[in-house]
Amino acid sequence: MAQGMEAGLDRFFKPRSIAVIGASREAGKVGNAVCENLLRGTTKEILHARGFGGAIYPVNPRADEIMGLKCYSSIKDVPGEVDLAVVVVPARFVPTIMEEMGEKGTRAAVIISAGFSESGEEGARLEREVLRIASKQGIRIIGPNCLGVIRTHNHLNASFADMMPEPGPISFVSQSGALCTAVIQYSFEESIGFSNFVSIGNKADVDDADLLEYFASDEETQAIALYIESLKDGRRFMEAAKKTVPEKPVVILKSGRTEAGARATSSHTGSLSGSDAAYEAAFRQTGALRVYTIMELFDAAKALAYQPPAKGDRIAVVTNAGGPGVMAADQLYTRGLRLAELPKDVVKELDSFLPPAWSRSNPVDILGDATPERYGETLRVLSGCEEVDGIVVILTPQVMTRPMETARIVVESVRGVRKPVTAAWVGLSGRPSEDYLDSEGIPELTFPERAADAMAALVHRGRVLRRIQGGEWS
Amino acid sequence: MSAEALLKKGKGVLTVEESKAVLRAAGIRTNRSGMAGNPEEAARLAEEMGFPVVMKIVSPQIVHKTEAGGVETGINTAEDAARAFTSIVKRAEAYSPEAEIKGVLVEEMAGGVEMIVGAARDPTFGHLIMFGLGGIFVEVFRDVSFRVIPIGERDALDMIDEIRGRAVIDGVRGQRGVSREGIAEVLLAVSGLVERNPQIRELDINPLMGDGDSVVAVDARIVLEGVKGDG
Repeated sequence: MAQGMEAGLDRFFKPRSIAVIGASREAGKVGNAVCENLLRGTTKEILHARGFGGAIYPVNPRADEIMGLKCYSSIKDVPGEVDLAVVVVPARFVPTIMEEMGEKGTRAAVIISAGFSESGEEGARLEREVLRIASKQGIRIIGPNCLGVIRTHNHLNASFADMMPEPGPISFVSQSGALCTAVIQYSFEESIGFSNFVSIGNKADVDDADLLEYFASDEETQAIALYIESLKDGRRFMEAAKKTVPEKPVVILKSGRTEAGARATSSHTGSLSGSDAAYEAAFRQTGALRVYTIMELFDAAKALAYQPPAKGDRIAVVTNAGGPGVMAADQLYTRGLRLAELPKDVVKELDSFLPPAWSRSNPVDILGDATPERYGETLRVLSGCEEVDGIVVILTPQVMTRPMETARIVVESVRGVRKPVTAAWVGLSGRPSEDYLDSEGIPELTFPERAADAMAALVHRGRVLRRIQGGEWS
Repeated sequence: MSAEALLKKGKGVLTVEESKAVLRAAGIRTNRSGMAGNPEEAARLAEEMGFPVVMKIVSPQIVHKTEAGGVETGINTAEDAARAFTSIVKRAEAYSPEAEIKGVLVEEMAGGVEMIVGAARDPTFGHLIMFGLGGIFVEVFRDVSFRVIPIGERDALDMIDEIRGRAVIDGVRGQRGVSREGIAEVLLAVSGLVERNPQIRELDINPLMGDGDSVVAVDARIVLEGVKGDG
């Protein structure tokens, strides 16, 4: 290829012009949804939705016009340059399309079409054929058998997902297309914003490793979340992850953990090393964080994208109720973190304004009648305490509770503090205070355990960075 | 055969002695051992390697040595070693009159914490290295940790710290623990050995015995890759 690989992937995420090959006028067809998504950002009626600003060229030999756009019978007839092609035609036509793309000079293709290696030997043969042409023509491929690619900052929805996620700092790469659409819906409920959203399908060409390297230097990405079912080349992935982790935190959800691991080996080691043990080991060696549920994946990504890494593992919990505070403490302990020991002078300082019945230790229970101001004062003291590396703030609804004012004061009191803070507004779901915390970069995670887990991700990140900086890890 | 030659011999499983020779060449301590042909030789060997020692019958026909009365442990003096030689041979002959008796193996008896170290190949990531506590910990609890080879010193120490039975390494109930650095050296040596010799398909050191700074491979097994294209 004439240009470097990064420039090649730029064509997927920062194209100036896009052709939709297999564009359709018929509502409900993938080729229709892709056109509409490119034009408007979403196929749903949404106020403020905005589409891709560059040129869009529908390609379909049996139509003259689609959604007001002139339609071409072949990509070769398109007058201007085409940076990216989104391919939705049936699998058997894809090889010809690739040849035409080559002639046109288009060097990037998102192949949404299914019917390749996921569907048996004939499909696998077709996939090899497509790859052969692509490598001959210098074309990079995302897919086939995928949902497509979304980049929010330039309003690019080159997919058939009916919604586009909110813009934000997380890049998500998924081997499952269905999970992508589910996650978009989930992201609205949890105020998760994405910079890039990629369904990579069969990973015939562009894979997890390529995207890690690309997002490592993407200015819109602060954290990378991966959903992986399998890797083809484990060593290549490790190499890419090792290069990426010093730049951006990487969180991985890997499914297929419980595969009965005993392969036909005669040694102890062989019988103990199911394939999941290998994945687990490899992820650890790269400094990526492995998680085990979808919820953890995005909780961790959100925390890592917005909050600074923790300098140590000593955590303070601030709460207006005993139970949730203890639950947070239990979960911190389970994750291998410690409850910070509050020095005498800090206890004394807290004594000066907290009611006598406060816990006088960590978890810092500032009692059921805690006012927003009490939260604010307490957080100011703990933020300044050298013995505290991170703070988990919990609010439960009690008679005196004012969720919104408390959220505001929490944000104010920790502004500029170089220590991570996570929050759980327990039993206050759907209130504006939750969204407010998220919008101010304090991950609000509804339950004490989730806020503790997110803190554990920040402690992990701190440890990984210290190791890398200390040269302990080659 | 030299360790190098053993590893080049291609297909198959190396014997315990061959496997231990390969480990020694890689810088891993193995417990000393020698073959005695008569009681005097047994006493001399035992004296040389230091007490206590273990003695085992060596005969191709006798597979279950303990059943044949062919094993004595905890031998503490040269006289006992000489006596053990005579009684082991006598019991073995009684157990299996037709067996060809090659001699009696005298082995340094390594005590302490029983551990396991291994290497095996994964289809996605290539060779992995494993560490765990031996015996019930590995059999029942599968309390082991893995890394992709090659590993660095930090990885080796992490592997040791990751196992649930970590306290046993540190020393529990008055029992002396094992030097983490000593174990890490073995892990690094195994990682290097396998990295240099990718034809090693599987490797087990079981047990690796650790007592303070002494970390010794007592039993080992190396399986080599078959000829090209096989497995």
